[in-house]
Amino acid sequence: MIRTCAQSTLRASSRLSAISPRLFLRAQSSNALTKTQPPFTFSKSGPSSVKYTSQHEWIAAHQDGTAFVGITKYAADALGDATYIELPEADSELEAGDSLGSVESVKSASEVYQPLAGTVLEGNESLNDTPQLINEDPMGEGWIAKVRLNDLADMNGEELMSLEQYEESLKEDH
Amino acid sequence: MIFKRLSSSAALKKTALYDLHVQLGGTMVPFAGYAMPVKYAGQTHVESHIWTRTHAGLFDVSHMLQSRLEGPGATQFLHRVTPTDFQALPAGQGTLSVLLNARGGIVDDTLITKVADNKFSIVTNAGRAKEDIAFLNEQVQGFECRWEPVRDRALLALQGPEAKHVLGSLVAGGLQSLQDLYFGQRRSFRAGTGVEIDVARSGYTGEDGFEVSVANSDATDLARMMLENSAVRAIGLAARDSLRLEAGMCLYGHELDEDTTPVEASLNWLISKSRRDGSLGEFNGFSHIMGQIANKSATRARVGFKYLGKGPAARTDAPVFSDEGKTQVGHVTSGSAAPSLAGINIGQAYVQKGLHKAGTQLFVGVRNKIFPIQIARMPLVPSHYYKSN
Repeated sequence: MIRTCAQSTLRASSRLSAISPRLFLRAQSSNALTKTQPPFTFSKSGPSSVKYTSQHEWIAAHQDGTAFVGITKYAADALGDATYIELPEADSELEAGDSLGSVESVKSASEVYQPLAGTVLEGNESLNDTPQLINEDPMGEGWIAKVRLNDLADMNGEELMSLEQYEESLKEDH
Repeated sequence: MIFKRLSSSAALKKTALYDLHVQLGGTMVPFAGYAMPVKYAGQTHVESHIWTRTHAGLFDVSHMLQSRLEGPGATQFLHRVTPTDFQALPAGQGTLSVLLNARGGIVDDTLITKVADNKFSIVTNAGRAKEDIAFLNEQVQGFECRWEPVRDRALLALQGPEAKHVLGSLVAGGLQSLQDLYFGQRRSFRAGTGVEIDVARSGYTGEDGFEVSVANSDATDLARMMLENSAVRAIGLAARDSLRLEAGMCLYGHELDEDTTPVEASLNWLISKSRRDGSLGEFNGFSHIMGQIANKSATRARVGFKYLGKGPAARTDAPVFSDEGKTQVGHVTSGSAAPSLAGINIGQAYVQKGLHKAGTQLFVGVRNKIFPIQIARMPLVPSHYYKSN
């Protein structure tokens, strides 16, 4: 069974990569944004930019300057079962690097940092009742905060990574 | 979001079960100088925890220091370093106790089993091995007995409601032969094709279960036999800690240290009534500890607590306040969400005497916010020990 899966993946990958290596990575990566949830569906055409931090946050910005922030699948897997998510309060004005909240597992608490300067519009209240969303869909339904960026152009800052760069950094991490 | 990367396990010691842990997909982390599994592939921390409470969990606790004490002066020696009556303890019975320094502070907590008169089997913490060895070697001078670490045996803990069926199916006498082995007792058995094992009905989870001492050379076979039973899963250190916290048990370095007496640690029950007048020999720190009992002069007490609402868990060193965050009256020693209590936060703390009674409402501070808690009787999750009455 396992071998069958591996073989079919292999076939699919060689076909896809012939078309576009980048597309392939995006299709395969568990750290890619979920397409059916608000961080993606907020605008009809999807976010204008999705970036990653070295601290394992993702930020998905839309054309109007609204952005969603969460933690990556890689981070959620490493933390294990989320038991409580500390959400930011609406209207908090945060600089890049300020604490946005925290993700608690039974074993530990991990701070989540605001990737770019902006104002918090809302925390994801569904995490109050269902912190497991962080594990089930960290790249979508488990988004942590919706913020208004001070400047959409900050998304092009050098500190942030593309999905490809982020995946590459994870390999170096191992 | 930062997580600590685990350093290479190159210089770490390995237990006899190391290869098995790796085969089972164990995430190996450094713990007390050993490479130990914190969790295993295919189960989350919470799943491992719940599995142990509902089925049976197998824990490798071989990193703990097993030792033996023997000689005509062995009981007398234990009466110097512990506050427990080992003369009255029946052979085949074990008890929790503490090793005490001259100030009555706790050098380590320990499980000591009387194998026969003046012959004892001792288990102490891995993280305290260096200190315990130095302490015991120094203290044993002048007593007519010999204390020595046991280096060739592994220790497996099988814990949970199905543990007795699992072990019962492996020992020569079957489940029947475990029926008169009560909590705290220890006996030798033969498992499988004749593996000699020493079985103590004890553990660190609050569940019925066993701690099995077995020769290193037989340890992997024994563990595999247990794991063949579908009721058994290998469980790592992460769940071991959340299970013991719910069970109200102490973790050395958190609830206990060399500046804390058993009275302050709410462990008076370890100080046998028959040891309190000194007639069986005064233990280390006798006058200080007995003074705390007689004069009720201890100023703090170890307590358990539960959150009254939701919030981030109060972890080690979080402050405890008597009112809305103004007056600090204690500090948290361990804390996390309790998987067996639908994830409500629990913990243990030291608080000022007078504020230690069950039902007392206090507050904990977590990252500049405060959350209401209530002092709760321990264990925080009911225990299921197999007792004779």
